[in-house]
Amino acid sequence: MNSMFRFLKSLFLLELFGGMRVTGRHFWRKKITLHYPEERAPVSPRFRALHAQRRYANGEERCIACKLCEVVCPAMAITIESAQREDGSRRTTRYEIDLTKCIFCGFCEESCPVDSIVETHVYEYHGESRDELLMTKEKLLAVGDKYEAQIAAARAQDAKYR
Amino acid sequence: MVNIEINGIKLEARDGAMVIEVADEAGIVIPRFCYHKKLSIAANCRMCLVEVEKVAKPLPACATPVTEGMKVFTHSPKALGAQRAVLEFLLINHPLDCPICDQGGECDLQEMAIGFGGDVSRYAEGKRVVTDPDLGALIATDMGRCIHCTRCVRFGQEVAGMWELGGTGRGEHTRIGTYVADTVDSELSANVVDLCPVGALTSKPYRYSGRPWELVGRPGISPHDCVGANLRADIRGKQIMRVLPQEREEINETWLADRDRFAYLGGRSAERITAPMVKRETGWQATDWDSALTFAAEGLKRVLDVHGPSQLGAWVGDTATVEEAYLTQKLMRALGSGNVDHRLRQVDFRDQEQLPAFPYLGMAIADLERLDGALLIGSNIRKEQPLLGQRLRKAALRGGQIAFINPRAYPFNFPVSQQIVAAHNWVTEVAAVARAALALAGEEIPEGLPEAEVGEAHEAIAAALRSGEQRAVLLGNLAAYHPAQTELRAMAALIARSCGAHFGVLAEGGNSAGAWLAGAVPHRGMAAQPTAVMGRDWRSMAHEGVKGLLLLSTEPESDCIEPLRATQALKQADFVVAINAFASDAARDYADVILPPALYLEAAGTLVNCEGRWQSFEGTTPPPGEARPAWKLLRVLGNLLNAIGFEQLSITDVRDELAPALAVGADNQIPWRVPAPPSFEGGIMRLVDYPIYSVDGLVRRSAPLQQTRDAIAGAVYVAGATLTQVDLGGADRVRVMQGEGEALLPVIVDEAIPVGCVYIPAGTTATAALGGGFGVVEMTHA
Amino acid sequence: MEIRNFTLNFGPQHPAAHGVLRLVLEMDGEVIERADPHVGLLHRATEKLAEQRHWVQSLPYMDRLDYVSMMCNEHGYVLAMERLLGIEVPERAQYIRVMFDEITRILNHLLWLGSHALDVGAMTMFLYCFREREDLMDCYEAVSGARMHAAYYRPGGVYRDLPETMPQYQTSKWHDEAQVHESNQNRRGSLLDFIEDFTNRFPGYVDDYETLLTDNRIWKQRTVGIGVVSPERALQLGFSGPMLRGSGIAWDLRKKQPYEVYDRLAFDIPVGTNGDSYDRYLVRIEEMRQSNRIIKQCIAWLRKNPGPVISGDHKVAPPPRADVKADMESLIHHFKLMSEGIGMPEGEAYAAVEHPKGEFGIYIVSDGANKPYRLKIRAPGFAHLSALDEMVRGHMLADVVAVIGTQDIVFGEIDR
Repeated sequence: MNSMFRFLKSLFLLELFGGMRVTGRHFWRKKITLHYPEERAPVSPRFRALHAQRRYANGEERCIACKLCEVVCPAMAITIESAQREDGSRRTTRYEIDLTKCIFCGFCEESCPVDSIVETHVYEYHGESRDELLMTKEKLLAVGDKYEAQIAAARAQDAKYR
Repeated sequence: MVNIEINGIKLEARDGAMVIEVADEAGIVIPRFCYHKKLSIAANCRMCLVEVEKVAKPLPACATPVTEGMKVFTHSPKALGAQRAVLEFLLINHPLDCPICDQGGECDLQEMAIGFGGDVSRYAEGKRVVTDPDLGALIATDMGRCIHCTRCVRFGQEVAGMWELGGTGRGEHTRIGTYVADTVDSELSANVVDLCPVGALTSKPYRYSGRPWELVGRPGISPHDCVGANLRADIRGKQIMRVLPQEREEINETWLADRDRFAYLGGRSAERITAPMVKRETGWQATDWDSALTFAAEGLKRVLDVHGPSQLGAWVGDTATVEEAYLTQKLMRALGSGNVDHRLRQVDFRDQEQLPAFPYLGMAIADLERLDGALLIGSNIRKEQPLLGQRLRKAALRGGQIAFINPRAYPFNFPVSQQIVAAHNWVTEVAAVARAALALAGEEIPEGLPEAEVGEAHEAIAAALRSGEQRAVLLGNLAAYHPAQTELRAMAALIARSCGAHFGVLAEGGNSAGAWLAGAVPHRGMAAQPTAVMGRDWRSMAHEGVKGLLLLSTEPESDCIEPLRATQALKQADFVVAINAFASDAARDYADVILPPALYLEAAGTLVNCEGRWQSFEGTTPPPGEARPAWKLLRVLGNLLNAIGFEQLSITDVRDELAPALAVGADNQIPWRVPAPPSFEGGIMRLVDYPIYSVDGLVRRSAPLQQTRDAIAGAVYVAGATLTQVDLGGADRVRVMQGEGEALLPVIVDEAIPVGCVYIPAGTTATAALGGGFGVVEMTHA
Repeated sequence: MEIRNFTLNFGPQHPAAHGVLRLVLEMDGEVIERADPHVGLLHRATEKLAEQRHWVQSLPYMDRLDYVSMMCNEHGYVLAMERLLGIEVPERAQYIRVMFDEITRILNHLLWLGSHALDVGAMTMFLYCFREREDLMDCYEAVSGARMHAAYYRPGGVYRDLPETMPQYQTSKWHDEAQVHESNQNRRGSLLDFIEDFTNRFPGYVDDYETLLTDNRIWKQRTVGIGVVSPERALQLGFSGPMLRGSGIAWDLRKKQPYEVYDRLAFDIPVGTNGDSYDRYLVRIEEMRQSNRIIKQCIAWLRKNPGPVISGDHKVAPPPRADVKADMESLIHHFKLMSEGIGMPEGEAYAAVEHPKGEFGIYIVSDGANKPYRLKIRAPGFAHLSALDEMVRGHMLADVVAVIGTQDIVFGEIDR
């Protein structure tokens, strides 16, 4: 009886029609895809992408060249050289992140005692040469200046979890 | 011996030893801040509290002597609780500076907080604020971080011998500082940076430039004095970031002189060249090695062809390594010339044939601190060999009778039993001591010993040299610069012999002993072997002239005791090859080609210190640019000049050739010779020395050292009475004439200079135009 | 005339080679005589690199081993560290870890299902699976900030607690207010709400997959009786995970050596009977359902029990950010943990987790320094790949693809 039932099921392609029903149902469903780049998927405040260096509200760079990010970076993507600035403060003379080495683990941001090095939500960057993917201090500060509002908002939103 | 138990481990301890010492020996970790094995016990940090059986309260391990049957627990809950509590107190006032503090990563306070402290602070009140005094060019201060361990205070008091730092106030208001604003000027000052367990005292030149985890420490030897202090160069990438002492009990203990520590900064001088330079008709040109070395070889060949080998000479700097000095003399001798000399600061070579194989201290460095009596003839040991001075200080504090016969009175940081100031009559003063010593020994007075009146001081010195276990007569650097060096040496040896004391020489250069052994002297070959061609000493070369000169790591305009004569000889020479890392204006003037060698710490080599200890080292970082180790340059020069025996492939090949020199034993037999001292008649006597930070090219270019108080400018130091004597009272600049040279120098009135004398330092640019060292000068209005 | 076997190079550029597998096939006509997998094209020396980095620095590299089950790799590593350190992990962190382990399992199985079906010829599956993966990756992103390489687990717990909010879609010219409102339906609450919504939907999706595949004649023709491994052989070959359970051996570390809070959760272990590709497919499908069940239980617990998510011992876990800026002890501990890392006691430890692919183990040896003396990764895929020859021998060329698919090969962990 059972094998008879199976034979009929097979003969009438029932399982294939079952599958067709599923795909057919999906065919009429609303699309879940987005029209990138006009539309973007929502991004979590913890999102880790392109790095930035931040400044204080008075324009002073935050980084104090403590080199914690340099040492904690597992990929050794960060290079820092430091010196005493004329005003006596400890500052970087060179701060570079090699994006070709970076693994975006977020440890640099985690280690920073002054919230200077951060990872922004900018995931659309590119470089046509290695040179362009070497983020110098100027480039990092420029990213920071441009996205400061977004960076600050995301940090504020996530502050209680850190 | 006492039997104690620490954490259940049975240990034997010396009577009177402190618990912490016993634990350290057994490898049991007890946290500490104020305790340091080389300093006295203060027990004020309370970090080393341990539990002792049958004692109600925890005891500081550093100040608790062991007793028989004592049971100590360093990790019991009580001990750990006490340590944790102490640490919490220490951290209360500590600023949140770790990210900007240079000590971060190598900070004792951090280590202890991790290992023994709690992990959350209970303190929420405000922190103490402290102002930071300016302690000079070497030490940076952030006194808010200070935990009042007083290591720096005790170091100044006990080791450096200058009580410059001290504590004022009490409790939370304790301040470590100079009380009256002043710099810290000890020649050993930067050791407080190493001692400071926190970041309160840090190195100013290194400030904010690195982190300990980026640095790779590589061992090296300091070439600036005859001590051969062991050091560690911390390298990041290819750059030397700082220099620290390497513990070596028998040489430098745990200390390092500021000169050894900061000299590396001279390598950053703007005058440093990193590519070979050749003087052509159009001026100086940087070029490649092939053309520079060919140019140098061709120039020397031309001199050789036209004037013969006797017109070729080499001056070797006394910081050059044994290998470099050896290859230089080998090159000269292979070319048929014996004209090679490294004794550029000496003028008296009359007894050179009788001298031992190398200048020897007569004992081990560590034995200096066990001396019961010592006579130093012509030495400012404190500034010339700071680490030896520190050892001698220990002897003096132990009750050793340390006496000096110096041309001028130097301030010493230890009790000096006698300091005879003998500017004009140095030889007679020494002769008087010799006579006193001979009289005490009941020996016959040898022929020719100068007549001298034996005073009380002389007798006291002689008597001190006869009492106690260990005594020594040491000939200092000032004697080496003196035209009567022969007499001083012979008499010093005589005194030592008659008193049964050691006789020793404090060599003037960092590697004088090595240069002697390598054969960089005109009358002897390597390992003091007789040489086929007798050469001329540097002074004869300078005075009689020489057509071709090879300079190795020396700047005659500053290094030579007769700078004027030396530069004139260089200018008159047809061809001068300078192997020197710096292209000074003077060198650009007299040299025809400058070949940049690797500086110290950049290349392998060997230095021989005053106790005859050979210390080989490897380069710690590759030399910058095109600079190459000097021994390689010399080898290629040898090849280009078709000299035989320049096939060495590595520095070990050179060292293998030096094996006979290594076998030469230390010997200090100075035979008596009839003296014929030069006389200084009339006029004003110039006293000379090389100030601590003018001894070689590297030190002279080290910016932080030049900003210290010990960096003496070229000037005339003179007592007011002397000035009046020559009708120059009140003059602030005078024209000084010595020999052929003259210079316009500022006047600094210094009443410590004997009347009738002026002190004009050597080794400075301002005094480079003067004729010589000790001698008669004339002074007129500017 | 002599008939010679034909040697075919399969991969590393073949789309069905799952990454960089290079397979040298010796064939008699279309029948496989011998299959010789070559490894090493994705070798990054992770084990050696770990010896140069302090303990936590190697953590992000664990994500990149089996790069479709990131957090499970991390879990093995932090578990090994915690064993050596002997520290307690807060309960909430344990639940979070278990929840994300199961999310990861679903992520992995979805990728496996999609690509396996695609290899065999079913394109639609791939699209459906990736649609569901999107939601799970949003969970990854919400909690760690990265959609794949999370670096979220830490010795002593997890880096941050679950967020109370989810990022939301914005209106655009393609989607108006009403549409966005609908897409944001499940994003208005916390991450837990979002995950719960997913777990409610997910069984339906799995039903869809099953409708498409389970009874499908083509699927069955391609998988039934392919790559049969007997229970004895499976044990001898060192199989683990679904590969072992597909052969009928009920071995699951979550049951046999429970770690974290698995012993408090109700779930079943599906087991196959024939040891062929089809059974392994069924096992994995059921595992997804069971994972969904575990996630539901975790959500229920996590809702009720707020608390710390990382150990309060700052000798191991960095102090909170606010404390670092306010108190000295915290700053010192932060500084030292970032620069020097954890001071690990001397000793060795092995920790294994039930990874989506099998037993993923980390063996560490510490000489008391701040970095491992030796780190050994036990990757399940390696044992499975070594059995490839045995599994495909005598099958047709097309079945090689099906067997590679059923093995769920990922080269990140095999070459490591």
